[in-house]
Amino acid sequence: MARGVKTSATTAFLALAAAYVLVPIYWLVISSSKNAVQLFNTNTFLPPAKLSWGANFHGLFTYENGDFAWWLLNSFIYSTVTATLGTAVSTLTGYGLAKYSFRGRRVVFGLVVGSLMVPATALVVPLFLLEHYMGLTNTYQGVILPLLVYPFGVYFMSIFSADAVPDTLVDSARMDGASELRTLWQIGRPILMPGMVTLFLLSFIGTWNNYFLPLVLLGTETRFPLTVGLSAWASTLNVAGAGQPLYSEVILGSLISVLPMLVLFPFLQKYVARGLTFGAVAGE
Amino acid sequence: MAARAAGPAGRLAVPALPRTSAESGAAQRRRRWRASQGRSGFGMTAPFLALFAVFFAGPLIYSIVLSFRSPLTGNFTGLLNYRTVFSNGAYWSGVERMAYFGVIQVTVMIGLAIGLALLLDSPYCRGRKVFALVYFLPYAVPGVIAAIMWGFLLEPDLDVALKVPHLVGIASGPLQPLSYRWALYAIMLIVTWEWTGYNMTILITSLTNVPAQVLEAAKVDGASEVQVAAKIKLPMVRRTVIFTIVLSIIGTLQLFNEPVILNDIASIGSNLTPNQIIYNTAFSFGNEELAAAQSVILALITVIATVAFFAVVRRRMEPLQATRAVAK
Repeated sequence: MARGVKTSATTAFLALAAAYVLVPIYWLVISSSKNAVQLFNTNTFLPPAKLSWGANFHGLFTYENGDFAWWLLNSFIYSTVTATLGTAVSTLTGYGLAKYSFRGRRVVFGLVVGSLMVPATALVVPLFLLEHYMGLTNTYQGVILPLLVYPFGVYFMSIFSADAVPDTLVDSARMDGASELRTLWQIGRPILMPGMVTLFLLSFIGTWNNYFLPLVLLGTETRFPLTVGLSAWASTLNVAGAGQPLYSEVILGSLISVLPMLVLFPFLQKYVARGLTFGAVAGE
Repeated sequence: MAARAAGPAGRLAVPALPRTSAESGAAQRRRRWRASQGRSGFGMTAPFLALFAVFFAGPLIYSIVLSFRSPLTGNFTGLLNYRTVFSNGAYWSGVERMAYFGVIQVTVMIGLAIGLALLLDSPYCRGRKVFALVYFLPYAVPGVIAAIMWGFLLEPDLDVALKVPHLVGIASGPLQPLSYRWALYAIMLIVTWEWTGYNMTILITSLTNVPAQVLEAAKVDGASEVQVAAKIKLPMVRRTVIFTIVLSIIGTLQLFNEPVILNDIASIGSNLTPNQIIYNTAFSFGNEELAAAQSVILALITVIATVAFFAVVRRRMEPLQATRAVAK
């Protein structure tokens, strides 16, 4: 086969796969401009003659006293706080494990690696019971605190610190009389920053996308993140007696909950990819 | 899949305890710093350890304790809950369904991910960066939203494309992918949409690490691109392939979000996966003790499936490595 033919065949196949990825997202953008009647009456993949974005937007943010605005805010709070504190805790622990020798260091490292094997969903039911006992269900901290335990983050930062922060640099800071935390902040932080950015993004996306944990821990609508709130509305589409089916609200709400990350993703892609490939390539 | 959102790759990376500054520093300074190091090092891990004890180790131990208690009296009942799980047909059909699901979906998804990664890495690819970005996009979409989008797109009243086979006369009516019979395959379609690019991203990084000299040498010897891909690139990234398969097996056994949302939209059944059954046992029936036993067994099944997969792979790979040793 000529090279040109191979290139065309390759491109055609890659474009087909790209269509599989993009068609639902395209559909979501188009459908968010339709009202419930237009959804059933107009062509699935073409915009309607009269766009209903304005009405849909209004409906989305006013339905049930504007719960949707709460969900958007809550998702932002859960993700930002979890990613910030989770990255701080993981970095401190990873750096401590990599740069200090102390009694029990091996045990701590063993715990971290061992917990990588425990499927997170196995902990959801007992976590609910324990939080219920502690009065943490239905609170922001109840969702955030368990997500701060991020064994992969600790593992990632310990390897990252060991590789990236030279011992001579740490030692000379000590010679100058800097405290250990000051050394970490002034010498370690700039060097560890790329790793921290990766971890922040993985934790942010993971929390933004999480469903099972907040579903179990939360009962009040105004505490829901987007995933739990939209799934509650989605169930009105089918269950008899659940009220009016919220087609346009669910569709526009879905678009709004994925749009910020999709727009930012081209800029964040390489940081996220580095985190994902870390474990796999380390073993290669 | 629920589990993967919580912890990305690296779950099974071979751990290597990093060297400390103390190990490589001068002996004198080491002695002087040892006492303060001990305090500082432990102090830095303390916040994590406190959180770990309360929100990870605590629930884990509690779950095991709970699984041995009677749902009725709260007293110790030995293996009663476990015996109930073992005789529970719905639970085991859930496990069986996930095994069937995994065999088909993981094979298709990893095959597709390998194919796309090799094509992007080939000289016949134009627009590598754009394609790589597009395939990776679904990683930024919550499973719940993916299931909502596809849930609408697989509904014939809402998607004209599903009526096409009927209109051209090759189907007796509009396609019904969310009917009871086809729902499992609809979930496969969604999960493949969500995770193919993720796996491809892991594979492509691994492919770029294949040494250029090796590829050059193969070309000098007259190997075609297909031969290079099949005989050199693929064997060199096989550890990464195994890694992605293991992650996918774990994710499949934890499946929850997609079937729950599809059931909200189209009533496909609320007991399709083990995690759905555990959720219903705990929160619809209030039987937390039985749910704890179900969780413990699911975690064990996950570990067994992973270990079994490694054992099979190792046995297959040993003759391969032996031939190589002889060739050298």
